[in-house]
Amino acid sequence: MSPAVTMMLMAYVQPHTSTLGVIVAACFASAMITVMYWMFHVPHPVSADVARVRRSLDVTRLILVPTTGAPYSQRGVELACRLAEEQNASIVLVFVIEVPRTLPLGAPLENAEEEARRALEVGRQVVALHGLPVRSIIQRARTAGDGIIAAAADHRADLIVTGLASRGDHGHPGWGHTADTLLHRASCEVIFDRVPPDTAS
Amino acid sequence: MTEASAAPGRGVAESGLRRDVTVWGSYMWGYADVGADIYAALGLVIASAQGGAVAAFAFAGLVYIMIGLAYTELAATYPVAGGGQYFALRGLGDFWGFVAGSALLLDYTIDIALFAVASSGYINFFFPAASKITVSFGPFHEVAIVWCLEAVVLVILLILLNVKGMRESSLLNEVLGAIDIVSESTIIIIGFIFAWRPELLSFQWHQQLAHWNWRQFAYGASLAIISFVGLESISQAAQETRRPATIVPRTSISLILTVFFFATAFSSLSLGILPWQAFVGREGDPVAMLAHSIPYIGMVAGPFAAVLGATILLISANSGVMSASRLTFSMSRFHFISEWFDVVHPKYRTPARTIMIFSGIGILQIILAFLAGRDRALEILGNMYAFGASTGYLLVFIALIKLRFTDPFSPRPYKVPLNIQIHRKGMTYEFPVLAVIGTLGVSMILLMVVLTHEIGRIAGPSWIIACFIYYAIYRRKKKLPVFGALPHDWEGQQQQVLEDAEEFDLLERYRAALATRDRARIDAEQ
Repeated sequence: MSPAVTMMLMAYVQPHTSTLGVIVAACFASAMITVMYWMFHVPHPVSADVARVRRSLDVTRLILVPTTGAPYSQRGVELACRLAEEQNASIVLVFVIEVPRTLPLGAPLENAEEEARRALEVGRQVVALHGLPVRSIIQRARTAGDGIIAAAADHRADLIVTGLASRGDHGHPGWGHTADTLLHRASCEVIFDRVPPDTAS
Repeated sequence: MTEASAAPGRGVAESGLRRDVTVWGSYMWGYADVGADIYAALGLVIASAQGGAVAAFAFAGLVYIMIGLAYTELAATYPVAGGGQYFALRGLGDFWGFVAGSALLLDYTIDIALFAVASSGYINFFFPAASKITVSFGPFHEVAIVWCLEAVVLVILLILLNVKGMRESSLLNEVLGAIDIVSESTIIIIGFIFAWRPELLSFQWHQQLAHWNWRQFAYGASLAIISFVGLESISQAAQETRRPATIVPRTSISLILTVFFFATAFSSLSLGILPWQAFVGREGDPVAMLAHSIPYIGMVAGPFAAVLGATILLISANSGVMSASRLTFSMSRFHFISEWFDVVHPKYRTPARTIMIFSGIGILQIILAFLAGRDRALEILGNMYAFGASTGYLLVFIALIKLRFTDPFSPRPYKVPLNIQIHRKGMTYEFPVLAVIGTLGVSMILLMVVLTHEIGRIAGPSWIIACFIYYAIYRRKKKLPVFGALPHDWEGQQQQVLEDAEEFDLLERYRAALATRDRARIDAEQ
């Protein structure tokens, strides 16, 4: 080392404290402590049974939601959306027009179709808030249960989510028979959301 | 069907390696390499880049961060032994997996040799006469025989430690690494508080700008980039890490940040305390010299820094032993090298043969390097270091890009940021822009290595060609394709790996993704 450099070296070993140096030292220490703290705080392990249960819904890619336009029914749409969000599943909204046996299935039922369009539009708006892919269909059948089963089969639904009215809730067709049909004949998973009587409206 | 293709699932699921590396152990496997590189690189970089050393470290740090993030994603997604070799195999096929493996194997064997030599050099701080004892025989002059023997003995000790088991060698890393981190942090904090002069740093930077030399800067930056190998070590240990998909992203990202903090802090501190000229000719112990210049602790800094350097360099050599043995173990599992290496020790359950054989190659490299003369051993070993790393990391970047498209179903607990979503045939792929930038960056480094490293550009390719000749003979003998790929049940292996790693949540996510894909295929066929 040259004498000039040695002199420079000697000049710089004297103690010297600068504000910026203290700040840099504090930043360095804080950053190191933060990194170490984060590294050691590892999330808790998930057991095989818990993981299997938690991820069992991941295979649900298409959820069929029957709707009648009633509040309890649209609540079923919201419930389905929340179930679909994590795996970005598709929602298929279905409104079943029950055609009396005295009429052919294709008979014009303008009022019912208008009601269906209104109900499906509300449902679509609910789904749109979640940003999920959605389709809506009007299904004609002799009973609501038959229509839902047929729609689920046509669209290869993984899950049916449907809101149920409480018994004694007037103004909309009861779901007792429909629920029975779904429970006994649906080939996919079914979730019923029965709203308590005092909140059904 | 050939013997090998009849059992394509072999390789990861049946490895039998114990999972006993903890969070701290995983972090320390990486730090063992990177921490030592700071000790070696600081003086070299400052001597080369001069007043621009902080910028050189920052530039190198950017490339390092990109490589680190790529390794973080891949090691967390595929937590198996093999590191870059396995990633290249998954993404690019058998041949490129072999090329990446042989390049990284070169680095690991040199890692063992280089850091064992450097560690014994620091030990000789207390016995200065030892490194001066030389012998001359035949065409070899001034062979530092004692220093050479010290390094060889260190490697033999590390072999014994690693054969005995992972827990033992992991414990060594953990204890020594902790001491080193505390010590380095102390030097930095006390240095900034009691000795740092920002005006000196500013003055040297402006002087450098006034006489900017791109060649010097590029050379300094390429030296700083040597510290890449640390993250490779973490991915090598992933198969023995508890819950690797959860732990590896944390340890990798922590390591990236720690190294970046240390590199920029040490370079800023150095140029804020001493003129860059003070480091010229003191490349061997820059940290010791820096510590010696700090008030209050300078009195004991010399011996302390020597002990510190010896320990961190020793655990770096130990990390090289671990990584080389596990890489070759993985390569034998995939029929790149003989199955003879594929035997786990019946008592310790460690790949004892691979540990001994490739650490033995490290010993051979030490002897050959010393035969070139006392002052050239470290230079020769260091010269070959960058070639293997650059080649391996280039293939890893390409593999990462391809795997985003060929294997979109494997759950990725961590993803390299900056992605462009591409929707194609009902699938969503994420194109990693950062990996493309990283590919270009590493390509530039590889080009720089070939242009500027006289020994590296000859010895590096020669090593890979020699490995290829062995590979071709072995594969032909086994009637396996040399350039083609064997059938691999990647999906089955991936499930087995995740189950073995007790990453049950990821396992179920993976199964759900495969089920969805299978159903989509059935729907498309109907």
